Order: sequence, then C-alpha cells, then structure tokens
Amino acid sequence: MQPAAATPEHGVGREARTAGGRIAGVVTCVPADVRRNEDFHARFGEDAVADVVKMIGVQTRRRAADDVTTRDLCRLAAQRLLAGLEWEPTSVDALIFVSQTPDFRLPATACALQAELGIGSSCIAFDVNLGCSAYPYALWLGMMMLQTGSARRVLLAIGDTISKIVDPSDRATALLFGDCGTATALESDPDAAPAHFILGSDGQGATNLIVPTGGFRDYAASGDPRLEGRSACSLYMDGGEIFNFTLRSVPPLVARTLALADGQAHDFHLFHQANQFMLKHLIKKAKLPPAQAPLNIEEFGNTSSASIPLLMTTRLRDALTSSRRRLAMYGFGVGYSWASASLDVGPLRVLENIEA
Amino acid sequence: MNTFYEGLAEILEVDASELAPNFSFADANADWDSLAIVSTIALVDDTYNVMLDGKSLAACEKVADIEALIDAARSRNA
Repeated sequence: MQPAAATPEHGVGREARTAGGRIAGVVTCVPADVRRNEDFHARFGEDAVADVVKMIGVQTRRRAADDVTTRDLCRLAAQRLLAGLEWEPTSVDALIFVSQTPDFRLPATACALQAELGIGSSCIAFDVNLGCSAYPYALWLGMMMLQTGSARRVLLAIGDTISKIVDPSDRATALLFGDCGTATALESDPDAAPAHFILGSDGQGATNLIVPTGGFRDYAASGDPRLEGRSACSLYMDGGEIFNFTLRSVPPLVARTLALADGQAHDFHLFHQANQFMLKHLIKKAKLPPAQAPLNIEEFGNTSSASIPLLMTTRLRDALTSSRRRLAMYGFGVGYSWASASLDVGPLRVLENIEA
Repeated sequence: MNTFYEGLAEILEVDASELAPNFSFADANADWDSLAIVSTIALVDDTYNVMLDGKSLAACEKVADIEALIDAARSRNA
C-alpha cells in the first residue's frame, strides 16, 4: 500500500493509486423487455413525454419482469463471464455486490450469488450500498484486494433494477431509469500499470435522491414538503438539486482525474449516464471530444450503478477487445457520492452484453 | 447578452426579438418550469461561467430577475 503521504486529500476527493491488478472481462445483462417513449403516452400524454425526453434524451429503456431481480441479471452476466474466461467458479476469491436494489434487507445478496455461482466457501462476499458512483468505487475496492493479496481473482456484481422503485406516475423518474445487471472480473497481474482513483462523499445531499421508507428510519414522516402526496416507498429525486450538484462537482473531478493520469492521455471518458442534456453540457465544459465520451442513455436510459460497464459492452466492444486503451470513468450521484477511475483496459477476451 | 438571449429564447420557445429585461414569463405564457430552470442553469454556466441556484431561479418572474442573479454571481466570482 502507498503511505498516507502519497494519497493527499484535495477538495475533489481522496486520491488513491493501486497496482498489480487488471480487468479480465466484463459481461452486462439487460432484460429483453424494451419500453419505448410511446408506451408512456397513455399515462402522461404525448406532449409531457416529449418535454421530459428533450431533457433526459432517453428513447428506450429495459425493464425487468416482476420476478427478476438485480441478483438474477448479475448472476446471468457472471455465469457468461466465468464461462467465457474459462474460470472455474471455485477460483474466485472474492465477490462484491454493489447495488441499491438487493434482494433483501438481509442477508447480503453477495452470499446468495456466491452459492448460486458455485463459488467455494473460502470466498470473501459482501454487499456495498452505492448507486451512480458504484463502478469506480468497486474497482478501487477490488484492486485493493488484489494489491494486498487478499484475493487473486475478484468478481464485481454490479447493477440495479430501479424500475421496481420508481413511482409509475412520476414522469421525471419513470421515463429516466432502465434496468441492468453486470459482472466484472478482476485478476492479479504484477505487470499491470497502476490505476488511479479519486473518491468523495457529501451526505448533505442525502435527501435529494432517496427512497424515504423501507429501511429502519422513516424520512417520509420528517415533514419535508417536497415529499407531500408522494409514495413513501418510491424513489424521490429533486432534479434541480441533483443537476446543481453535478455541475458543481463533476468538472473538478474530471480536471483532477486528467491531471493525475501520469501525463498519459485517455482514449475514452466514460460518464455515468445520468441525463443526456447534463452529460452533453459536462462534456462540452470539460472540452472533451464527443467521440471520446460515448453515450448510451438514449438506448438504455439511466442504468444507475451499471451504466459504465454497459457503455464498455455496448459502445467500446471493438476498441477494448482488440487493443489496450486508457479509460477514465466518472460516477456521481446518490449519496451524494462520486468517484473516478483512470486505468488501462484491454485487450479483453470477454466483453459482451446479453439479454435475459 | 446576445448569446444569453438566444439561448433563453430557445428554452422559452419564443422569438429572441421578443426578449427584453421586462419580458415576463407569466404574461408571455412562457413555461418557466423545472426543465426551463435546469436548462437556464446550463446556459448561464456556458455563457458566463457562473452557477445559479435553482431555487432563486424558480422565483424569477421576468428576464431582468435572471440578469440580476447573473450579475450578483459574477461579482461574487470577481
């Protein structure tokens, strides 16, 4: 591990550097059920749908069936990934499930996945509760495990089925989110180039993106006027506040990530697919060439924790299966929580998106 | 304020020539809703490199109110 002095704190977040690990493969799994904008006309009216779509940029999104959970989508992705890599399930030393939509309040979904995938009991398995910032956070956790030798092979199961917690009558969220589960394989590689991370949090924004009820504290009873007349067990999003947070925090995160990259230019910048209008604004503000900052929100919506790996499987398949590329990844949102990762990826043996 | 007026006209779906400091959103029946406010935050960030707060913007009734917020934000930055 780096000594503390090597990870100074800047206003943007904690800075960390890991070595000795690499991404071996990524598989994402989306439900086959496609919801088009026209499918929402009956409920909201054509004009209201057009108004929201102009801003969020989502044309289609995927929706999981009632009896399919994030765990199912992650399991299917992980099975395909292990088979493609020819990894025996018993060779996986650690499994981390990162999601806002686990199967149960307890036990941890990671334990269920460990058993279902046939991973042995000598396995570190636990859940992490993060959403939009999940992917760079999970990469950092997994890379640390590889660096310390706690694990030689790590499976990250990351995804969300936000369609299950949106209020179907709330057009701002009902149209925005799509479902997806993913699996990422990490393995130790002494020759891998170091990966850089920046990780930050600001819980003062906690109530701006929240499911007020369903845990062990009832925020719906707090008297927050924004929640009046809303379903307490559904997702509440204060779009204006989230937008302000993003414009305030993401440009400095991008700038610092670029500065930290050992002087090497990035081939691609993968942003959490939050909202198309906001992303285009951020990309323009950071002066990044649009071709280096792919989008897929128009096709899959905001897939929460799964959006960055879904960009890799749907927009960078050729680039990452044929060559090594330097990627920057930026996750930001619910918490508030944000993180970036900067690392070399590829050529990957397994990189694909499947349907369930 | 040309770029700003052009962008704002697009957001409000009115002709740029109609916009003036006294232009009132309610009188012109222009939608000053959450989408317009978020778009204006981005426009002002692009044009003047300052960030306006959504709650203050929501309280604006005419173009001059927005311009006053921009001036205040710019003088804080200066």
